[in-house]
Amino acid sequence: MMRPVLVRRDRVLPATQALGFVVGIVGALVLGAILLLVSDNNPVEVYERMFDSALGGIDSLSRTLERATPLALTGLAVAVAGSMGLWNIGAEGQMMAGATLATGVAMMTDGLSGPLLIAVMLASGVVGGMVLMLGPALARSYLGVSEIITTLMLVYVSIRVVEWLEVGHWKDAGSLGFPRIEEVPAQAALPGLFGRVNIGALIALGLLVVFSLAVSRTAWGYELRLAGSSPNTARYAGVSLRRKILAALLLSGGIAGLAGAVQLTGTEVRLTPGLSNGFGFSGIIVAALALMRPSGVAVVAFVFGAVQVGGQSIQTLGVSSAISTILQAMILFSALAAVVFFNYRVRWAGAASEHSDV
Amino acid sequence: MSEAALVGLFVATVQFATLVYLAALGELFAERAGVLNLGVEGMMAMGAVSGFMVGLETGSPWAAFAAAIVVGALVGGLHALISVVLGADQVVSGLALTIGGVGLAAYVGRNVGGRIPETQFTDMSIAGLADIRWFGEIFFDQPPVVYLAVGLGLVSWFVLARTRLGLALRAVGESAPTTDAVGHSVMGLRVGAVMVGGAFAGGAGSFLSLYMAPGWVEGMVAGRGWIAVALVIFGAWHPGRLAFGALLFGFTLALQPRLQSFDIGLLGVQVNEISPALLGMMPFLLTVVVLVIISWRYRHRPSPAPADLGIAYRREER
Repeated sequence: MMRPVLVRRDRVLPATQALGFVVGIVGALVLGAILLLVSDNNPVEVYERMFDSALGGIDSLSRTLERATPLALTGLAVAVAGSMGLWNIGAEGQMMAGATLATGVAMMTDGLSGPLLIAVMLASGVVGGMVLMLGPALARSYLGVSEIITTLMLVYVSIRVVEWLEVGHWKDAGSLGFPRIEEVPAQAALPGLFGRVNIGALIALGLLVVFSLAVSRTAWGYELRLAGSSPNTARYAGVSLRRKILAALLLSGGIAGLAGAVQLTGTEVRLTPGLSNGFGFSGIIVAALALMRPSGVAVVAFVFGAVQVGGQSIQTLGVSSAISTILQAMILFSALAAVVFFNYRVRWAGAASEHSDV
Repeated sequence: MSEAALVGLFVATVQFATLVYLAALGELFAERAGVLNLGVEGMMAMGAVSGFMVGLETGSPWAAFAAAIVVGALVGGLHALISVVLGADQVVSGLALTIGGVGLAAYVGRNVGGRIPETQFTDMSIAGLADIRWFGEIFFDQPPVVYLAVGLGLVSWFVLARTRLGLALRAVGESAPTTDAVGHSVMGLRVGAVMVGGAFAGGAGSFLSLYMAPGWVEGMVAGRGWIAVALVIFGAWHPGRLAFGALLFGFTLALQPRLQSFDIGLLGVQVNEISPALLGMMPFLLTVVVLVIISWRYRHRPSPAPADLGIAYRREER
């Protein structure tokens, strides 16, 4: 009986992940087109609209970069934990925690000048994300509790906290009974660069460069990767796994918290339960496609920013924006499958071929 | 607190327990075979929307339930294809399944959101038992899916613990190479277990849209799939302990919307004055606390997790 077997290629093709990403995009577009056809939409028209609104001009490009900024930060957050084999899938919640603390600090500090207020709020964002991550990080490093589930559970908790503040202590007295939180002070708005892009994009880019160098070029980064890939070797080399896990997870939470503060001061004007807007979850896909490398995060975040802006624009054609979420997941699935075929080839194995192949 | 309110709380406890138990039981099969599937939330969402839509078309809750089971198995099959057949990372594939499944459910159900259901499961009282005071109402006057879940739990225990198939399934989760050497098909067992897991999750999702909250609303699974994943750890990969955990989580899920109506004081706080938003985080905080307690108890003992959980198997790389 003949059956297909995956055999590792003797020569692994170069740049497989980049190629896999491209194949992933193409695969997702094909699957998305089938879905659109089945639901009586014209895929060419839909894709054209998506492309135009995301990449068709300087204004569109600025929208894409605006979206790519939080994606790059959450992607980096997931990647920092991921570079030592940990999964922070609660970036969504840490964004909320960061934005919440930043809002609270802005409320307490009256009359700070713009740059100082922004610095304080961004720093509180980092702290807020770290605070939410503290429990999962301690539980993971001391007791080995799966950080996958604990970080995710706290997403729901942090969103409820904002809902609670919205109707309770932080309810805007001037909102005529409508439950919402006061806008952050006008001087807290991140300075714009062009179009809808603000310096948040530069902050994200700067952090990507810093972490890219830190992970690949420093002893700290080497130990981090070593602790992830071969914990026993790392232990013999004198690396404290416990502290590495704590550091990686807290940093990850801090970066996601910063994403929340950047989103608050750069794009939104007030804290709402919807502020994180799925960026934390998309960040997981971004980091996974980038193989946890900060350089890759930048590229994937840009593409995903474009997909999301495109997804918004097709609502005017009467097409659900859920298409963009589906496309993101399909890019990942297709890329996962493609990369397998770059590293393995299919051989038909059976009784007859067993000898001839050797 | 009135007697009726208390009985109502336990009736709802059993129903919420059924919801998370079905999904967790499916995840238990996959994990016992060595495959971590973090896509439960996505599979439940697809089950919920497809169950509701088939219910609209056919008017039959059982046809809707069956459709949700099939859809769940197919969605689970995607995870099996990527992570078992192709051997890609199980965590990545599972997360993509959750994100993609929730997105696809939103897309598929975009035109039926808020529609009034054509059909739903109704309570089925068991003659003779349903009249017992308190217990009758709590355990024997429930929708058929509740009884089905109890039956499936018993069957699952029997299959896993007492049959050759169950032995092979557990073996492939502990050591895929050994199981392969003995002559079982690693791929067949694992793909089968993941698809059965998907079927359970799909069914659980439709229990939500066909009984607990009849209708379809985007995001209606609301983290209950993730609670099911945590429940498998709580239940130490055992169908019986899983049932106990399901009742505990079912109780907190049922308690949350009801505390508002309980006029009792606890530690100097009137419970009906606690904000619903704060009560809403209880099941999720409880999950974290419970996981920490479990890990604390196992800190000096080997984990009860299947040894090969999360590890892809390729015969050529043995």
